[in-house]
Amino acid sequence: MTAPLVEPGAEVPPLERTIDLRAMIAYAGSTWDWHRLHYDPDYLASRGLPAPVVDGQVFGALLAEQLQDWLGPGAFVRRLHFRFKNLVFAGETVRCVGRVSAVEDGVVHVEQRVLVVGGDQAERVAVEPAGAEIVLRGEAT
Amino acid sequence: MSLLTDELRARIGTEVTYTAPEELGRAAIRYFARAVGDDNPLYTDDAYAREHGYPGVVAPPTLICETNQYADVPPDPDGYAGHDWHIDIPGSRKVRGGNTYTFHRHVRPDDVITATWRLAGATERSTSGGQDMLIVSSVATYTNQHGDLLCTNEETIIYVARKEER
Repeated sequence: MTAPLVEPGAEVPPLERTIDLRAMIAYAGSTWDWHRLHYDPDYLASRGLPAPVVDGQVFGALLAEQLQDWLGPGAFVRRLHFRFKNLVFAGETVRCVGRVSAVEDGVVHVEQRVLVVGGDQAERVAVEPAGAEIVLRGEAT
Repeated sequence: MSLLTDELRARIGTEVTYTAPEELGRAAIRYFARAVGDDNPLYTDDAYAREHGYPGVVAPPTLICETNQYADVPPDPDGYAGHDWHIDIPGSRKVRGGNTYTFHRHVRPDDVITATWRLAGATERSTSGGQDMLIVSSVATYTNQHGDLLCTNEETIIYVARKEER
């Protein structure tokens, strides 16, 4: 593996994932969150929602994974922020994208977004703005 | 009609604390990583984690902010079983705003998590479409059984007035 290019303007390799109902059920179980919004057809129909809604918190996990995969196991994500723009529904594919905005004293600052891609519909933004600070030398202990 | 009631205003600054009934555990870490599709061996392979300076496997950074394991509360009618302020604002719908996480170190399987949630503020605004909304902000502080600070989580929840109610 070659060392990643970490300088302002550098692209963070995108992370893409399809979140189907099976993945959503697994996520609900693993987080102890059994909200009906994520799987119950009657609950969704009564609220006019077309399909189970992906738990937005999972995008935090994907944004962190994108950074950790890029910078390797020694890097430590010390700050991560994200704001939700649009709902994502079961079966959709999301792509996390990002770019380095600054590098200061061994801390990498990145700006990220989560997009819904593929399918028949126009691309839309799931999460924006988002971003993180990553300490290259690892967690302070 | 104001969405910010006197009752809610009076609650700002209140705190609630939850302590997990058990250690986070290796299974919870592996389950979460598997569920989100993250195959990083830092979360499942002790030898690999030690090679990279950790005492053993660690949790994916955001697990602590996403799990309700520590809360140990029964599910509400919507099926939700985590921390909630139970703020009732008639004629509104509740949506997630966003989160800011600050991590101090990776959470480990033997950490017993305590989370303290503080109701930090509530601000009235209008959406770009002219609908009234109320932005409720909270801060969760996560520590372990030794008092180590693990993480903070600033969260915003938005209550948007329904158009037909105006």
